[in-house]
Order: sequence, then C-alpha cells, then structure tokens
Amino acid sequence: MWQERQAELLRGEIEALLAPLSDVVGLYDLAKEPLTKARRGLATEVACDRPWPLLPLIVCEAISGHYEHALPAAAALQFLMAAGDVFDDTEDADSSESLSARYGSAVATNVATTLLILAERAITRLDRRGVEDYIIVRVMDAVNSSYTTACAGQHLDLSLASEMAVSEDIYLRVTDMKSASQIECACHIGALLANASKELINILATFGHNLGMAAQITNDIQGVSYGSDIVKRKITLPVIYALAQTGGEDYNQLESTFSKQSESVPDPIQIRDLLFRTGAVHYATIKMEFYKQRALDILSKAEGAGISVERLKLFLE
Amino acid sequence: MKSQALQELVKKIFGDEKTRLQFTSNPDSVLAQFALTEQEKKAVLNTHARLGLVTSDSPQLEAALSPTMDWHAPMP
Repeated sequence: MWQERQAELLRGEIEALLAPLSDVVGLYDLAKEPLTKARRGLATEVACDRPWPLLPLIVCEAISGHYEHALPAAAALQFLMAAGDVFDDTEDADSSESLSARYGSAVATNVATTLLILAERAITRLDRRGVEDYIIVRVMDAVNSSYTTACAGQHLDLSLASEMAVSEDIYLRVTDMKSASQIECACHIGALLANASKELINILATFGHNLGMAAQITNDIQGVSYGSDIVKRKITLPVIYALAQTGGEDYNQLESTFSKQSESVPDPIQIRDLLFRTGAVHYATIKMEFYKQRALDILSKAEGAGISVERLKLFLE
Repeated sequence: MKSQALQELVKKIFGDEKTRLQFTSNPDSVLAQFALTEQEKKAVLNTHARLGLVTSDSPQLEAALSPTMDWHAPMP
C-alpha cells in the first residue's frame, strides 16, 4: 500500500539522520526511542488509517503528484515532535517509563536537544532532494514559527497548571497554539514543497489548523473515556464545560477532583460517569465535529482548486 | 471562540427531560430556540445523527473518534 511505501522511505530518512550518533555509546538508542513510539516516524506498525507522520508527504503529493523530495521535512517534524515528547515528560514528571525518570533529567534534556538539532539538519537535507534554497528557507521559517507558537502555548499551559478556573476561550487558545499549530505546520510545509500558490498554502494550512483542533478535542474525550486525564487532574474541554454548567454535588465532586490543592484520590469511574451524564462529553463531541466539518469544508475548496483530497479525508472520515 | 448558545443547548438537553425528548424526536425544533451559527447547527445535527446523545462509552463513539485519534494519544 502507498502508506507502507511512504512510511518506509520516511524511516530511511530518519535513520540516515540518526546514523552519526551511533559512534556515541547509548545516545543513538536513546534518541531513537521516542521516535519508535506509536504514530511516530520510526514506529513499526504501518499507520494505514491515521498516518500522521506522513501528513506533509500526503499534502505535497495531493498538490503536486510527488512527495519524495519532501521526506526530509517530514523527518524534521518527527524529530521535533519526539523532542517535544521528551521535554513534556521531563516537565510533567508523571511517567516512570520516561527517559527522564529512567536516566535523569540531564540525559533526557540532552537527548531532546539532540533531536531538535537533528530536525534542523533534516531541513537542510532538502537541498539533496533538489529543493531550491529559497523554498528551504521558507520551510525553515514556517517550522520555526509554528514551533515557537507551540512553545508559547506550552508556556501558557504551564502557567495555568495550578488554575482550575480555565475558561473555554483560554483552552481553545492553548489548543490552537500547542496542538493545532503543529498539524497546521505539517500541512503548510507539504504545500510549500509542492510549490503551491499562496492561496492554496493558506487553504491547506487552515485545513491543518481545524484538523489539529479536532484531534486535540478527540484526545480530550479519550482522556475521559480511559480515565487517564482524570487521574492526572487535567483540565480538558469536557471538564471546563462541566465546571461551568453544573452545580451542587456534581460541581463539588469536580472541584475536589480537579483542584490542584486537593488531596483526595481521583475516582476516574465516578468522574467519567459524571462527565457523560451531564453532557460534558456530548458537548466536546459536538465541538470535535464542528472542527472536523470545517476541515471537510476546506477540503472541498481545495478539491475545487484541483487538489486530490481523497487521502487527506482519511484523517476525518 | 466558545459558543455560549451551544453550551446552553447542551445543558438544556441534558438537564431537562422534556427538552431531551423533544430534541430526540425533532432536533430542529429545539435548535430553533438557540442562536447557533450554521456550522454549529450542522455539528449538533451530525453528532445527533451519528451518535444520538453521548451518555456513555460505545463502539459508535469510538468509531466517531477514530479518524482524528492518536495525534497525542492517552493510553487506556
């Protein structure tokens, strides 16, 4: 299948960039580890239904019919996301499996920094694929701009970490900056590397933005279903809705669960049931559908401009 | 931007049995009472058509989440 071929080529590109690290005992394996997680560029499973790492390639091919020259850019995003995973785990300090928990924050920080630098190296490898310098500079600018926004979103999120009274507007802003910006970036650089017009680049970037918003809200709903975000007292969209729209005993239960000062142990089953019963999950599902619909509407526009959108619809339908 | 009207709609459906029944049998008649945008209405109706009221985990909910899952997936 086409996904297998693209995934194989992406793995080859990532491996080529990691290869120089093999001289340093341990670093190669540690840098590779976050890239082998599910849905990351070196994951062994073939992501047929939701091939997130291939998104820049899919966009590029949808516009131009070709994608191989975009492989270094797709690899760069995988290095950046892997670095983000390692930094996140170090900041959150809530996983015994993380690199920082197993090797200490100094080693984890160095691994994450190495991954960031490999991302920059990956972008410079675009010239080996015949991409013109001015396009490479534009790709670099788009990536750096998006990830600066993502870092600013992370800062905002961290500064709100002790707050329970997060408004939906603030939540949407953080989601926009932290999550949507990364998927927007993947689509943006895919379109840039297809030599698309400014208008088409904007259309694809807007598609990515809405897809990113939907993906984060999906993640929030899963976090309630699995109970994982409840255990972590994470304030996500369903929780924000429920805190704003419930009263009495329901509100008290939410407050004692999600207050950072709370010493009670969260009961994920009870809170999950509350979030379903009060319509909080239903509300989040409508919001997810809202952004998916916007993304689909934008794809119709792109289709009207002659773009082959069938594979992009895999991320929505 | 958040939608106050959308929040109020969901609150009414989940908090008022009469509205819930009316929404289930004739969603448009309930939607007409709230100042929703066209895109919000479409999202409400699509969700209703596909899932009904989301009151618990279900294979249908899992299927609805499936396409946009796993960008940053929490583990079950």
